[in-house]
Amino acid sequence: MPENRSETNTSMGAEKVSRKGFWKTLGIFFALIGPGIITSNVDNDAGGITTYSLAGSEFGLTLLWTLIPITLALIIIQEMCARMGVVSGKGLSDLIRERFGAKATFYLMIALFFTNLGNTISEFAGVAASLEIFGVSKYLSVPVSAFFVWWLVVKGSYKSVEKAFLVACLFYISYIISGFLVKPDWVQIKSEFLTPTLHFDPRFLTMAVGVVGTTIAPWMQFYLQSSVVDKGLKAEDYQYARMDVIFGSIIVNVVAFFIIMLCAVTIFQSGIKIETAKDAALALAPLAGKYCTWLFAFGLLNASLFAASILPLSTAYTICEAFGWESSVNRKFGEAPQFYGLYSLMIFLGMGIILFPDIPLISIMFYSQVINGALLPFILIFMLILVNDRRIMGNYVNGWILNLISFLTIIVLIFLSGAMVYTSLR
Amino acid sequence: MVVNSSPQVFLFLSQILGKKIIDLTGRRWGRVSDLVVTTGDLYPSVTGVLFIPTGRKTPSRFPWHRITEVGDRLVVHPLAPEDQAEATIVEGELLLKDSLLDKQIVDTHGAKILRVNDLHLLNVNHHLRLVHVDVGLRGLMRRLGLQRAMDKFFQWFLDYHLSDHLIPWRFVQPLSSSDFLRLKITQNRLAQLHPADLADIIEELDVNKRSEVFQSLDVETAAEALEETDPKIQVRLIENLNPARASDIIEEMSPSEAADLLGDLPKEKAEGILKEMEKEMAEDVKELLIHPEEKAGGLMTSSFPTLPPQATVKESLELLRQQAENLDLIYYLYVADEEGHLLGVTSLRGLLAANPQASLSELMDSRVISVGLEEEKEEIATRFAKYAFKAIPVVDEANRIKGVITFKNLLEVVAPQLGK
Repeated sequence: MPENRSETNTSMGAEKVSRKGFWKTLGIFFALIGPGIITSNVDNDAGGITTYSLAGSEFGLTLLWTLIPITLALIIIQEMCARMGVVSGKGLSDLIRERFGAKATFYLMIALFFTNLGNTISEFAGVAASLEIFGVSKYLSVPVSAFFVWWLVVKGSYKSVEKAFLVACLFYISYIISGFLVKPDWVQIKSEFLTPTLHFDPRFLTMAVGVVGTTIAPWMQFYLQSSVVDKGLKAEDYQYARMDVIFGSIIVNVVAFFIIMLCAVTIFQSGIKIETAKDAALALAPLAGKYCTWLFAFGLLNASLFAASILPLSTAYTICEAFGWESSVNRKFGEAPQFYGLYSLMIFLGMGIILFPDIPLISIMFYSQVINGALLPFILIFMLILVNDRRIMGNYVNGWILNLISFLTIIVLIFLSGAMVYTSLR
Repeated sequence: MVVNSSPQVFLFLSQILGKKIIDLTGRRWGRVSDLVVTTGDLYPSVTGVLFIPTGRKTPSRFPWHRITEVGDRLVVHPLAPEDQAEATIVEGELLLKDSLLDKQIVDTHGAKILRVNDLHLLNVNHHLRLVHVDVGLRGLMRRLGLQRAMDKFFQWFLDYHLSDHLIPWRFVQPLSSSDFLRLKITQNRLAQLHPADLADIIEELDVNKRSEVFQSLDVETAAEALEETDPKIQVRLIENLNPARASDIIEEMSPSEAADLLGDLPKEKAEGILKEMEKEMAEDVKELLIHPEEKAGGLMTSSFPTLPPQATVKESLELLRQQAENLDLIYYLYVADEEGHLLGVTSLRGLLAANPQASLSELMDSRVISVGLEEEKEEIATRFAKYAFKAIPVVDEANRIKGVITFKNLLEVVAPQLGK
């Protein structure tokens, strides 16, 4: 958006605030929030928590500062999606199909299906791992939770689903509580957080890329835009959608901050080696007490369940939208067979694969991350072309400053994704 | 069967796009980028070809009749400079790729929004006509170049012959915004839909298209569709209209629906619309607006028949016939004195069976079951269930009839609580 435009926007917003009063604005904000906060929080899924725990326990506080640029990149990218959703009233896959045709869309959707399936599998792995800490067998926990998320969407309506999701967002607070439970040295944390450190050690770089990659994923852009559209926000409500996105992006990184910090001040300092989020939770018990372990495991369970319901949902939405199939949580099964079919298939496969004995879980998660990384550049490039298309965006196209910033962000992300794919395949 | 000298061939748009264009002398002109059709006919004919001239980026246009052969390549008569024009289209014309391919359309026969995978064209005597849109899986696979592989797979694996899913053009309503402006109301096929289906489609569209589609409807269709639309979306649709057009549409609605809608609108907007409305209707609606939506006064409609007790059956039937079009309810005729005190009721069946000269006072049933203005919807529902009415009158404290709640009015407030 050109600078002068955005200025008039905010001044208009300010005028509105003073006229309507603070409480009324707050009321509108709460009525219109949801998409941004939900999307961002799903981002801290099982894979995210694992990555953050590893980052903290292997490299201590040295990676903490990366959360600042990540937050900014997340805001820039998500803001474009939210803006496209509000202005065009269409989902991202809809826009991609109309602008880039059937072929590009088809292969993009195939790739998206597999990366999201990989992510879904890791969410169920997260469910299994977190409940094993509480002594529940995965042969019980995984089918029950799969049924729960399936039921929630198939039998619910958008309103009830969104409410359930917003409640799930609240439970991320368990990580913040655990963070305070260990009574860390805030002064040191503050200085590490604000001073960027970079080691040219391949392990360090891979981890840094992993943290970025887990925070900015392809599916998010589709999910965010669709849910903004689903909410039926008007162009006048755009300021609230933007607040929602910024708020969500910050919250997600606050949670990430606490996970990294928690693992850094406990596991890293005692020199324990961990490989999964479950290891991290278990390692916390002797160092920070069993409540900390429980809170950590509970957070993991919540995050995994939450993402396990959103990922298949978002995939089904996106694909149906691209091919013009009926897609809405508000429809019945028979009215939207492709939609519910895809949704159920993903949950079923995600659950089934986890229950398979001796499944090479680490490599599945690994390759799903690789496809994630390979897919992201394409989606970001498509987004940048779309958000600059006047036929779609009218006066809401990117201004040159925003274009420059998004262009640089995207270049960096493409470079990092490329690096991740390269290092993983080597 | 008459043997036609030139062959009839079905073609798909995807097979034409990107084809090379050469003239009879062998000179290359470029590649096809889009086709122009002139709408108006049942099956619109292709009148122009947009092509990207070799070595350039922007398309030019030439008339379809310059083409002599459609094969692996498009063969044209040599193109003189006057044959070529800028790639613009005029009113009544439609670009096939730009506004249909990969876009959403409404199938007015099946009442669904679908996405176009391909377009099916018929080539007769060098006239190319658009006959169907392809919305099926096979069309999608054709676009990917995988149609043959897909056919074989289905044959071999499932022993199933996959067929095209084609929709005849006469049932297709394009939705892209520029076409709405160009094709105008005369060609709007959405009016063929049942209002309830049309309302569903409007709800499903994105916000921008929703108001474009709604504004393209004629007043009557718009009003009928609006009555069936979700209240939140009703408000959005009306907010986007100017008061004059909004009032035209709302006047076509039943007073109780109109009152519910105006009650949901911001106050200034509602007042603006009321000012534009016909006086009589506006007063009815204002009266209804005073009462809360959930109570009898808010549910009732003011468009119902009343007559004095001395009126004859013949006069009553005549009155019903004249006003039938505008009444929300014709099954019951209420009998009231000059001050509006409710004296009795008679049904349409009773009127038809009675002696035409008899007066209503002889015929009417004076044990009228009515509800007060402040009655809650649960209680009203109970009365409906108990007495099996089609409608129930609403009276004030002095037993003056104020309105009538029809079963339909009640259903609208009760239905959301009936479970999913």
